Amino acid sequence: MFKDLLKMELFPTSWCPGCGIGQVMIQLATVMDEMGLGHTNSTIISGVGCTGRMAGYFNVDGVYTLHGRALPVAEAAKLVNPDLKVIVVSGDGDLTSIGGNHLLHAARRNPDLTVLCNSNQVYGLTGGQAGPTTPRDTRTVSTPGGAPYDPVNLQNLMKAGGRYFYARTTVFHQVHFRNCIKEAIAWPGFAFVDIMCHCIENNGRRLGFKSAYEMLQHFRQTYKRATDGAETLEPFEIGIVRKG
Amino acid sequence: MVQGTEAIFLGALRAGGNFFAGYPISPSTEILVLAAEHASRNPDFKFIQSEDELAAGNAIIGASLAGAKSFTATSGPGFTLMQEAIGYGHEVEVPTVLVNMQRVGPATGMPTMPAQQDVLQTHYGTSGDYYPLVFCPNSVAECYRYAVITFNAAEESLSPAILLSDGFVGHLNEVVDLDAIEVEVVARSRPPLGTGTRFFTGLAHDEKGNPRTADAVIYKQWLSMVKARHEKVAARYRHFECQGNDSSDTLLISYGIVSRVIAPLAGQFAMFRPIRIFPMLGDELREYAQEYERVVVVEANDGQYASLVEREVKRDVVRVPLLGGRINLELARKGLSENLGKEVS
Repeated sequence: MFKDLLKMELFPTSWCPGCGIGQVMIQLATVMDEMGLGHTNSTIISGVGCTGRMAGYFNVDGVYTLHGRALPVAEAAKLVNPDLKVIVVSGDGDLTSIGGNHLLHAARRNPDLTVLCNSNQVYGLTGGQAGPTTPRDTRTVSTPGGAPYDPVNLQNLMKAGGRYFYARTTVFHQVHFRNCIKEAIAWPGFAFVDIMCHCIENNGRRLGFKSAYEMLQHFRQTYKRATDGAETLEPFEIGIVRKG
Repeated sequence: MVQGTEAIFLGALRAGGNFFAGYPISPSTEILVLAAEHASRNPDFKFIQSEDELAAGNAIIGASLAGAKSFTATSGPGFTLMQEAIGYGHEVEVPTVLVNMQRVGPATGMPTMPAQQDVLQTHYGTSGDYYPLVFCPNSVAECYRYAVITFNAAEESLSPAILLSDGFVGHLNEVVDLDAIEVEVVARSRPPLGTGTRFFTGLAHDEKGNPRTADAVIYKQWLSMVKARHEKVAARYRHFECQGNDSSDTLLISYGIVSRVIAPLAGQFAMFRPIRIFPMLGDELREYAQEYERVVVVEANDGQYASLVEREVKRDVVRVPLLGGRINLELARKGLSENLGKEVS
């Protein structure tokens, strides 16, 4: 049971009601359970932020690193113990902004890590500031006139090297989401799963969504599956691109 | 003939060091190169040339959690970037070793003229309260010996420990039989990642590792437990050298390369050299200082250690700074003559 992988005694979690991170946690636990991953063969390493707290809810050794530093910690742990399944969970702000240099170079060195990136397109824990993934013109507390820049293109960033695994999915498309996690864990290299997730309290309401449900419906209506074998995911397509 | 940097690396191996992450920076780069060469011949020794010192500092923490005895080597500007990892290591209680080969700063400063300008940075460079164990060798033999001791102190204190050297000592070549140096090696105590359900967090936490970010009682209990552990470990390493002088009214305090350079002044002054520079050797300093009318600290910075010695001995201390990377006996004599109002020969 996936519940065996979670420290249920610590529930309720620190996340806001309606937050999508719980979905990420449950899907990861479900996949780990299916794949036989647990405290004897796995570790979960996170950065700082709302998503970062996830490592503490799993019944495996977890590491809550400093802001942006999950990848250097994870890469070193994997190098020291190649038999250990090392899963990184963190937010898009943590991984792409303060940890951006590490993301660039970890992807280039291609260690066998699974990275689950919770892309809610905002700094949720600090109250809703813009980050590198915030779409242009989005109003946040740090971009009251709308975000002035184009967001980072994570797919292109991941594909910059010769070998890559980039998956885009959403917390609404649960079967697809689970498959992405599963394939990422099985991938023998640096696998990056870009998970579109909602932050209702510190982003959604400001954007005009009335509830987490509305944000999920938005994912349902906006994101479509890419055609099989696509080498590039178009905007608002979910799927996996990879090259070994 | 062995060079200081090589002795540090060999000492790290003697201590069981099996993971190195670092970023090239003079005058510490030799250690990174030695680690890379060693890793290429020994698959059990792991090496990462990191993208920056932020990554290196955090990589040695991850490696330690995964079961390795890890270390890095850097210099002032890189050490500054590693401060966040040092703080993290203290909060999470992770043993690891940082070697800092100091050069003239601040910032890029004078690469790579030697200095002792990171003394305060080793103790006060990161946020929060912490109690680092810091050792300062002054010879190639001591580079080896204290590399091992720094690893041991890290294991015993479950924290990052620091070997604070400089470009001068690091590039000294001396004839020394490293194999003849007897040192004990403290083994790893904590089981590696992948064996439990622990949570290692940089958040304040209870004994199970669960975050407790608003509980002052738990925080204070944790901090006093950590402080007591560091004091206990520090007590095992009351390392210093002292040479009394009945015909002098002045005690010269120096450490690292400066203590080597001013050694010829021992006939004119009493000498005290702390090797474990942090935590301060307060009792020892007070004991020896009370015998002398004047206490002088000669160091290659603008009085960093002197200000701390002053706090320990509770009286004014004369500062003789040797600045700009020029560390020699002539300048020390000149500085002493000016500050003591008498000719020092």
